[in-house]
Amino acid sequence: MKVYRSRWTRREVRAVDGISLRVPRGTIFGLLGPNGAGKTTFVKLLLSAVHPTAGSALIFGHNAREPESRRPIGYLPENHRFPTYFTGAGMLDFYASLSGLDSAQRRKLIPEMLELVGLEQWGGVRLGKYSKGMLQRVGLAQALIHSPSILILDEPTDGVDPVGRRHIREILTRLEEKGVTIFINSHLLVEVEQFCREVAIIDKGKVALSGKMHDLTAGKGYRLTVANQVPETLLEGLRSKATSTAARDGMIDLHFASRELVNEAVDLVRSQHCDIEALIPTTSTLEDVFVRTVEK
Amino acid sequence: MSHSFTATVALIRDTFREAFARKIFWGLFGLSIVMILFFLFILKIDIVEGGIATASLFGAGANRRMVGVDVDRIVRGVYGGIATFLYTWGMFLAVFASAGLVPSVLEPGRIELLVSKPISRVHILLGRYAGNVLVVSCNIIFLVLGIWTILGVKTSIWSPMFLVSIATTIFIFAVLLAVVVLMGVLFDSAALATMVTVALMILSPILAQTSLMMRLLSSEWSRDLWRTLYYSLPKVYDLGTMTLNAIQSRSFDGFMPIWTSAVFGAVVLSAALVVFSRRDF
Repeated sequence: MKVYRSRWTRREVRAVDGISLRVPRGTIFGLLGPNGAGKTTFVKLLLSAVHPTAGSALIFGHNAREPESRRPIGYLPENHRFPTYFTGAGMLDFYASLSGLDSAQRRKLIPEMLELVGLEQWGGVRLGKYSKGMLQRVGLAQALIHSPSILILDEPTDGVDPVGRRHIREILTRLEEKGVTIFINSHLLVEVEQFCREVAIIDKGKVALSGKMHDLTAGKGYRLTVANQVPETLLEGLRSKATSTAARDGMIDLHFASRELVNEAVDLVRSQHCDIEALIPTTSTLEDVFVRTVEK
Repeated sequence: MSHSFTATVALIRDTFREAFARKIFWGLFGLSIVMILFFLFILKIDIVEGGIATASLFGAGANRRMVGVDVDRIVRGVYGGIATFLYTWGMFLAVFASAGLVPSVLEPGRIELLVSKPISRVHILLGRYAGNVLVVSCNIIFLVLGIWTILGVKTSIWSPMFLVSIATTIFIFAVLLAVVVLMGVLFDSAALATMVTVALMILSPILAQTSLMMRLLSSEWSRDLWRTLYYSLPKVYDLGTMTLNAIQSRSFDGFMPIWTSAVFGAVVLSAALVVFSRRDF
């Protein structure tokens, strides 16, 4: 648990309240939540950047306060501020040294990492000359250089252009294939939906919802699309079974809550010799799930 | 090479990089070069060349004593002046230049990444502290050795006691830097760190007047308070006087200023380590 107290009024804010997440090895896991939900505090507890008010933060079964527990972690913070006196290669050398790599390993890995993030021509250039997207990519290289088994990324594509985002996505997919567990803290729901296999939504310092992405976004219902010219009596019959209808581009979309109801609707349409344009099971977007969860 | 050693070297190198990325440290080195050039220049002017030539002519037989001029004394006087300069302006500039090096590490977006690495916070702060002491040490060694060499070559008077000022200056800087570090981790403010440290420097010669104040203060509690402050705070002035006495071959009263200042530095640095270890970032 982490409680922040105002210095003057002693008012308490419970930022994290007993969060326990089980993240399967080799999964891309998304951590979501509204502003101030406790996502960043939770990540910082894991990294021992903040200390719990009560209880303890465990990672791979080790107390996060022990420096050794952080050895298998690669981390890219949100709004990072890498010193601009570093060159790209110099920055990687510094953080790799702190992660325990010796000089021979660093000499070998620094060019490889710069190549991995597409900055091989920029290793000797000071970070002050880098764009935001380039800083994000060199930051990712910094998080990866010591081959971590868990990667914690706070808003990893923030400020990155679409091409850079795709590049980062490709890198993360390759890492997932290698069995690296990736923990993404992001506001970009579409991106999390594309990246992540599992997700947890944090609200008011607690886990409000968690599960596999396809389970959470699987909708309950079916959409039947028929042509606009169907007889009015048929349409009335369909409307009586549907939960909602919407007309668009000469078509009518009808939403049915269950398989039984959509089957009855299909029978009705076919009995009138009318054409079915489309029949698809509907899913929720992650945004729908998110809004439903935090508005409860 | 162990991880601990690699990380320590990386932290020290990082402090050097940052120090030299700040123009203020180049200013410190620039000032040292100007001082060395100044001594090269003044040793070229006639009155000094003439004096030294006269002293050389009479050599050991004249016991380096000219008519009314003792070159040994002149050189020791110069050394004393430099040591005093180091103790006042040099130390002030070093503290001023160093004050930002701890708060800069604590900037959001930088500190989270540092503490997420598999090294302890004590290690991080001590690495930065050691790096800072080493940067300033390089400057002090460069300046003192440079002037000592120039004066030695020109006068043939090699006063090894002047080199003692290297050790004492670095020592007292290390003590004052502990205060800078504590203020830095407590308040993230370079300005406040400088103000508190300079206040301690200014307070030191005042507190050093203990025997006079024991006579002037009327109540026992005020005398106790004065003594407590004197013995517990770093003795910048006393150490400066000790160094001056050592250079000019005068005696001094014991090593109390050294060990009490060392205890102060150790306590303050330990407090900084505790605060830094417990802080949330």
